[in-house]
Amino acid sequence: MPQTQPLKSLALPLALVSWVALLLTTLLRANPTLLAIQLPVWLTLLAQGVFVGSVFLHQRYQPDPLRGTDFVGVLRRLVLGPGLLASICVGLHLLERLLQFQFGVADRTLFAIIYTLNLGLFVLFLAHTCYTWRSLVLFRASPSVHRQWEWFEVLLGSTLLLRLVNIQLPLLVAGIILGALGVFGGYLSSHQRWVAYLSRRQKWEVILLQLGVLLALGVFTIYFLRIRHDPQLVAPQPQHAFLLLTVFFAAFYALMGLLVTLFNLPTAGVFEQKREDIINMQRLTQQIQRGQSEEEIYASLFDAARQTVSAEAAWLRIDEVEGEPYSRRELVTEVQSQAIEGLLRDYNISGIEYLNNDLPSSSGFRALDLPFGSLLVLPLRSSKHTYGDLYLLRHTRQGFDRESLSMLQTFASQTILSIENLRLLQDSIQNERYKEELKIASSVQESLIPKTLPTDNWFEISSHALAAKEVGGDFYDFLHLPGKGLAILIGDVSGKGITAAFHMAQMKGIFHALMQENPLAKDDKERFPLPSKFMAMANRALVHCLERSSFITATLYIVEYESGGFVFARAGHCHTLYYHSLKEEVAFFRSAGLGLGIIRNETYDKYIKNQFYDYNPGDVMVIYTDGIVEARNAEQEEYGEERLRQMLEKTYYLQADEIKEAILEDLAEFSYGQPIHDDQTLLVIKFKTAQPATHP
Amino acid sequence: MKITQQTSENTLTLTLDGELDASSSVLLDTELSQPDILNNKKVLIDCQRLNYISSAGLGVFISHLQRFQDAGVKLAFYNMQEKVHNVFEILGLDSLMTIVPSQAEAVAL
Repeated sequence: MPQTQPLKSLALPLALVSWVALLLTTLLRANPTLLAIQLPVWLTLLAQGVFVGSVFLHQRYQPDPLRGTDFVGVLRRLVLGPGLLASICVGLHLLERLLQFQFGVADRTLFAIIYTLNLGLFVLFLAHTCYTWRSLVLFRASPSVHRQWEWFEVLLGSTLLLRLVNIQLPLLVAGIILGALGVFGGYLSSHQRWVAYLSRRQKWEVILLQLGVLLALGVFTIYFLRIRHDPQLVAPQPQHAFLLLTVFFAAFYALMGLLVTLFNLPTAGVFEQKREDIINMQRLTQQIQRGQSEEEIYASLFDAARQTVSAEAAWLRIDEVEGEPYSRRELVTEVQSQAIEGLLRDYNISGIEYLNNDLPSSSGFRALDLPFGSLLVLPLRSSKHTYGDLYLLRHTRQGFDRESLSMLQTFASQTILSIENLRLLQDSIQNERYKEELKIASSVQESLIPKTLPTDNWFEISSHALAAKEVGGDFYDFLHLPGKGLAILIGDVSGKGITAAFHMAQMKGIFHALMQENPLAKDDKERFPLPSKFMAMANRALVHCLERSSFITATLYIVEYESGGFVFARAGHCHTLYYHSLKEEVAFFRSAGLGLGIIRNETYDKYIKNQFYDYNPGDVMVIYTDGIVEARNAEQEEYGEERLRQMLEKTYYLQADEIKEAILEDLAEFSYGQPIHDDQTLLVIKFKTAQPATHP
Repeated sequence: MKITQQTSENTLTLTLDGELDASSSVLLDTELSQPDILNNKKVLIDCQRLNYISSAGLGVFISHLQRFQDAGVKLAFYNMQEKVHNVFEILGLDSLMTIVPSQAEAVAL
């Protein structure tokens, strides 16, 4: 409202100026000899009107005195601030009377000054009271009440003008108008919503403060009524209608408020109870967010419930808190609580909500000879789970009412919610930890796969490994056999995930343990076990740890560069794909051989064979796991051995690295958009012409 | 995976229809784990409609192999598709288990 801006800033200076004008005109009227001419009455009236109007305007635009719901503070500031002006008024009046009495003179000037001062103070006090009441009337009021208040202000203001233009209305009309305005003010006084927000203690304070307001109003009113007929009064009657109405409104509102507060006193306890409940509820709610332990949540339920219903004795029995039964008791013995629980079980009403407000009249409870009159049992359960029961006891009969029961039910469901939240949180932390451990497993497994491939000038090797999950069951490894050559192991553990990964690690251990040089070897052939021997020994070792339905497929190659040949044994693993450079032919080594862990006795040796082969420079060996040949395309067709064979036919002349890349590219193209459902491992070894460097 | 069974004169015939993967292996394992299965002289597996067998599926047969042998129950597969047979062969199971081309041969065992 930009147009109110000048009005706002003008109000205070205007009030001061008009008050000075009022003082001057009154003084001049008191001493007519000072000035030759008689001052017209309207001048004084105008000064009065402007003063009253501007003080009210100034007060109107002050910030709302009400902060939050601090009603007591507002009233205290009113009484201790403007309210004390009344005492000044009394003081000034007494001073004047004393002076008159002392000196026996009736000084009109002094009288006029004191009168004008008191009028100013009264108007100030009225304005303050009026706008304090405004904040209280409009506290959480509807927009229509806001409009009504504005109308009230306008009508009140118009009574100021009425006197100013000095229209003498017929007494009846004036009475009707004033009466109507009074009724309007009375109606506005009925807005005492704020009283409900006070506690008992605050209500008492408010009553005292309102008495203070009434007292101050009374003092002013009595003063002005007394002085009205004083012969020394030279000033014209002040803004009678306006002041009368305002005083009426101010006093009526204070009186109404006082009565409302007084009548509300007995119910203050209920409001405080509700507040207490809300605070308890908030405390309970906050405990979820803090993520405290289950024990603490139960403890706070126990305390809150006891306080809410003022139970003298209580106990809480929870079936399980972190694996242990949990209980709390207060002013009730173990014997008593067990007797009550036993009785409820006998009545077949344990575990359900139960309220007995008259224990002595029930024979079962009477027999227990308890010092209690009322019992309330509250089960703690969700739709899926029963957690335990809360028992509350009071000495008096009729100790529990329906209201507190519903409050307790809310507590109970809040508690269960908290407990379930907490458990969810713990579960997710646990899950997070599992994920973390799986990551560790994954990186441990990663470290089991050789990072650096063996290099030498008589072969090239290239490898690729991809696990379908975090950890996989595929493995390969190399071992340099001093003075003999290179051992290459590839394998696949049935199944996926952690179990497979464990067996894979085991297989690696077996490989390194068994492929050690035998110091007692009589000849060169016995220095290292032959692949078939290795498989037989590995089978024996695995029997003890591999579950019945698991098995491992593997192929072990021992390449002897001095003789230019290799020997291998295939234990149920995928056939080796081979390019024979002399024959210029790509073919699989189709040898027989049983997987490891399938036969669990000595007869396994019969099912595994060695195969020897002399390689030539330019030969290419492709070693892989079934994740490669069983990879599927969108039509659910498998990549297959044949397609792999054709790939090697197209690429055998390339470097080992390039052959591997070409195969992987073809595989990716084939299975584009399909998830990998098995681990994939691929090794490409290409033999070269050069002879090995001398090994230490 | 659909498994149907049929009993006649000491012979139990299980017909496998679909893919025998990790989840359907559990079904098969339940079938083969029944104690009264050992009252049969022969357990025949009809593989005509078995399109795929995973290592978990193979594991089920492997785990029951010894038990059947000990109880004197013959386990035989017939009507096996080429690619499924290939899986058995690669693992070396063809040398341990009886795999015959037709039902007639299986019944005659």
